[in-house]
Amino acid sequence: MVVKVEPSIHQTFNVEDEFMNSDLRIEIARVVKAAGEGHIPSSFSIVDIVNHLYEHVLRYRSDEPNWSNRDYFVLSKGHGCSALYVVLHKFGFISDHDLASYGTKSGILGGHPDTTTVPGVEASTGSLGHGFPTAVGIALGLQIKERHNRVFCLLGDGECHEGTIWESAHVARNLRLGNLCAIVDWNGSAAQLMPVDDLPSKWSAFGWQVYEIDGHSSADLHKVFDKILDQHDDRPSVVIAHTIKGKGVSFTEGHGKWHHRVPTDPEMQQLLEELRE
Amino acid sequence: MSTLRDEFAATMTELGIADQRLVVMVGDISHGILQNFARACPGRYYNIGICEPTIVNMAAGLNKVGLIPVVHTIAPFITERAFEQIKLDFGYQKLSVNIVSVGSSFDYSQLGCSHHCYTDISLLSHLRRAVVMMPSGNGEFRTLFNQVYDNGMINYFRLTENAHGVQIPDSSIVVGRGVQIDHGDDLTIAAVGSQLKTAVAAASILSSEGISVDLLYFHTLKPFDHELLRESVARTRRLISIEELSAHDGLFNLCLRATVGVDGLVCKSLAVSDFIHGYGTYEELCARAGLGLNDLLLAARPMFGKR
Repeated sequence: MVVKVEPSIHQTFNVEDEFMNSDLRIEIARVVKAAGEGHIPSSFSIVDIVNHLYEHVLRYRSDEPNWSNRDYFVLSKGHGCSALYVVLHKFGFISDHDLASYGTKSGILGGHPDTTTVPGVEASTGSLGHGFPTAVGIALGLQIKERHNRVFCLLGDGECHEGTIWESAHVARNLRLGNLCAIVDWNGSAAQLMPVDDLPSKWSAFGWQVYEIDGHSSADLHKVFDKILDQHDDRPSVVIAHTIKGKGVSFTEGHGKWHHRVPTDPEMQQLLEELRE
Repeated sequence: MSTLRDEFAATMTELGIADQRLVVMVGDISHGILQNFARACPGRYYNIGICEPTIVNMAAGLNKVGLIPVVHTIAPFITERAFEQIKLDFGYQKLSVNIVSVGSSFDYSQLGCSHHCYTDISLLSHLRRAVVMMPSGNGEFRTLFNQVYDNGMINYFRLTENAHGVQIPDSSIVVGRGVQIDHGDDLTIAAVGSQLKTAVAAASILSSEGISVDLLYFHTLKPFDHELLRESVARTRRLISIEELSAHDGLFNLCLRATVGVDGLVCKSLAVSDFIHGYGTYEELCARAGLGLNDLLLAARPMFGKR
């Protein structure tokens, strides 16, 4: 069953909901510009979701990243890592220096997240279709150990081309991993290649509890995760988040050349102006 | 007679009772013989399904929360198909796993090339933290597994359906150490896996022809016992390796690397050079691959001016 959380994407959301994380978007653009490397649109697509998780949903200790009672967050679409980095910085996992040295020889942050170097990164992702099944394994391990930590995993719609996503969706339902929540960043990237039509129905067919929201709406994010945290279901949950790739800046929105492009100086100036408006 | 697979199942039960961290996941293989483990260790046995890459990723997740995963299915599917998962989860991310495969090389001789696997040992050996083993005789799996299963590394155990049948004391089975099966001064034969059986038979015949064979058996390919091999070929100056692994990267490659600088060494390799098309018994496929007793004798005799 698909549950549409109200207000749904079809409802106009408040002005303050839009660009609610312009400061984080500016940080993303700055680190990518400084490093000369990064996926700005993919990061703008997910930054509102990632920020919401760390601000309102996840249990963690930023000064003790391996705290045994923490909730796990796995960014399966690893190329959106700039969004994760700025959020980890905002909540104290990594330092100003770490963020400033993104993509440099001496830094710990690169174009895909590395769990061996970055505090708070639970899995080294980048090869699509790996992080999600790892999250399934974490959820199973926690269940075996009778622990109450929760597992959240963010994946891309393009990533849903990978067979391991559907293998894992099948396995997680079969194992009744109610401690697992997937979030799909449905920004339409996949539609350029091989459309993954009607994701909610697909996940529902695999037996998951499915929610559908606007992934840039603070109200939607609050409602859906409040609901998921309250539910005591042995079915895993998935939040299908309608998002806009490159959300927040007119010329990065949509698809095409900006997928993996660094802004020029004039473009950077325009980008900052739009985000500051 | 107990098979290596039976020994695997019994070892899981023994260790699973003693170590609450052990979790076994299989891809719908050995399900029946693992029921003792499932009963003895409730909640720690999973027949996940036919989805090998996902099983490997899941093992990483289990290890992430402090469990010791054992994944088990047919060799080509768990190593060749899921190699990227093994590489990234356990190589790159430095997590730990025990991978136990069956159907090595052409054990499934009647099922065709889809079920053959000649490259698993090579693939796993590329990972720096891997311990790569081919237990092929009674007691070898249990002994090796107990030595390493909780070492925090990537442990690969390739089980064979065709045990070599040579009795080797458990005390001689040590991870990373070769086994001296027989002593000789004329020719070194290095064998891995089931091919020890052929090597023993050849050594006996060659001995009757006046050629004494220094016969070495390697159950661990990584780390490889360079010292044992170098000491041997320093005396014999002649080496033949026999293996059911790819001729392009297997025991012979290891032998060459181990013997760099040994003067006047003459080497020959008996290995699998390409897909072994067709069906038949294990022995018939050995012969087709050039791994028969006669092939080994024909390789050895010219080294001594004989035909």
